[in-house]
Amino acid sequence: MIGRHPRRRLVAAIAAALLLLLAPRVLARGMLNDIWSVAFAVVLASAWNLLGGLAGQVSIGYSAFLGIGAYTTALLALRGVEPYATLPLAALLGAAFSFVVGLPTFRLRGPYFTIATIGVGEAVRVFASGVSFTGGSSGIRMPPASFDFALNYTSMVVLAVAVVTLAAWLRGSPFGAALAAIRQDIDAAEALGINATRYKLAVHALSAALVAAAGSLFAINFQYISPGSVFDFRLSLSIVLMPIVGGVGTVAGPVWGAIVFSYLQIKMLSVPALRDSYLFLYGTLLILVMLFEPKGLLGLGKRLLRALRRPARVANGA
Amino acid sequence: MGPEPLLSVRGLSKRFDGLLALEGVDFDVAQGEIFGILGPNGAGKTTLFACLVGALAPSAGSVYFRGERIDGLPNHAVVGRGLVRTHQIVRPFREMTVTENVAIGAYFGSRGRGRGAREERVAGLLQRTGLAHRANTLAGTLTIGELKRLEIARALATEPAVICLDEVMGGLNPSEIRGAMELIRWVREEGVTVLMIEHHVHAVVGVSDRILMLDFGRKIAEGPPNAVVNDPAVVAAYLGDPALIGGGA
Repeated sequence: MIGRHPRRRLVAAIAAALLLLLAPRVLARGMLNDIWSVAFAVVLASAWNLLGGLAGQVSIGYSAFLGIGAYTTALLALRGVEPYATLPLAALLGAAFSFVVGLPTFRLRGPYFTIATIGVGEAVRVFASGVSFTGGSSGIRMPPASFDFALNYTSMVVLAVAVVTLAAWLRGSPFGAALAAIRQDIDAAEALGINATRYKLAVHALSAALVAAAGSLFAINFQYISPGSVFDFRLSLSIVLMPIVGGVGTVAGPVWGAIVFSYLQIKMLSVPALRDSYLFLYGTLLILVMLFEPKGLLGLGKRLLRALRRPARVANGA
Repeated sequence: MGPEPLLSVRGLSKRFDGLLALEGVDFDVAQGEIFGILGPNGAGKTTLFACLVGALAPSAGSVYFRGERIDGLPNHAVVGRGLVRTHQIVRPFREMTVTENVAIGAYFGSRGRGRGAREERVAGLLQRTGLAHRANTLAGTLTIGELKRLEIARALATEPAVICLDEVMGGLNPSEIRGAMELIRWVREEGVTVLMIEHHVHAVVGVSDRILMLDFGRKIAEGPPNAVVNDPAVVAAYLGDPALIGGGA
């Protein structure tokens, strides 16, 4: 289950992480903003992939966790708590809510589970828009304070690196093997002693906590949140699309999906006429992936590499 | 009956909406027995196994294993107590290698073993089930005979006290069936009690100590193989013509 050159990959990953962390010293703010967006997308895609990719449970309700993290931080900051100190609580509340979602919905299988998660996500959004402590549909603003972008940038990059590292480690661990068994045949997994419900709840909680932590950093970065921005159904959809387009169930796939997705979004948001069409473009990409390369961009890349190597080998042999 | 039976089933019933798949089935299995279960298609044999291991919850009745009542427990908890089954329609983890498939059983089904001992056990089971040369092959590419043996290897990896084999000889050729019978006897020698469902009457009679005969979810006979297959009720329900019994494969 581990790649062919684990050590070489590890070195490359560490080098990339160091470069990203040193970037604020050399790069302009606009560029750093873009890297922040990519890191944010990487956290969401890789965290979702733990449940959706490794365990095969496709949830389209992940904006709920993002929103819970963002609101935890914003509401506590308004009561005078240091925003970064709220991260653990945000993660914990995200995990706690994952049980509220998971306990009833994990009884359902396949598409029924997925549909139920859409319902949960929407219910949370409607609830958040209707109650007063969230600021209703007009949202809430973080307390005015000196905002340190460099700190937020570093936090998001560290979180992204941590999530990808965790995903890689998890995938090769016994825990990951149990998730793979559940994905491939949940009844056979149970028949060999795997408590499938417990494993699904555990990985759901882990993944929700990571997404909630990202939501917390999101609130600190934008200083303003509303149910329409953090509990958005389109956001839930994007979180699913990134790993699927990149290569579901792999470690690198969600990262590639997040990079492509963020890049498209950044480019298109800068053109007013195209502002809302990134989802259309992404939808097209999704259809193409499902039709021609179910293993996503990662599978496509591997196929291209093989195709490029083959003629060379033939030439050597001849 | 002598000592307390290892497995004791009382009044076991299973209803699916209007259909009564099992109706008040009673039987005991002693430690070290090979206990065959016969019956026509739809007699409730696989449903019986599913109820024993907790894959299905029985509608009524009880199952005692080593004196503990286990009906109502989930499947994984029953496996942890030492009662496991194989699937008639094989269910390999297709994207895993043969070794990984068996390792899942060894890791999650059994307790208190170090990694080295587990790996040794997995390798030993692959050897014994004739899958060693396929160890690193993806399970999705195995032949049906190999998949049946993988089911057995995976279940044995959980270190059960009782293994329920659901038609492990289905679809096998005569020489493979002889191999399977040998394998079943070896399993018993290892100290594992065997319950087996088999369509292949000759094989069950040849290998079982006792046989239970089901028809329409009810027990119609139980006892030594030759007594059961010559029972007039059994002959009428299943075998039809007594001459078939002497026939063979």
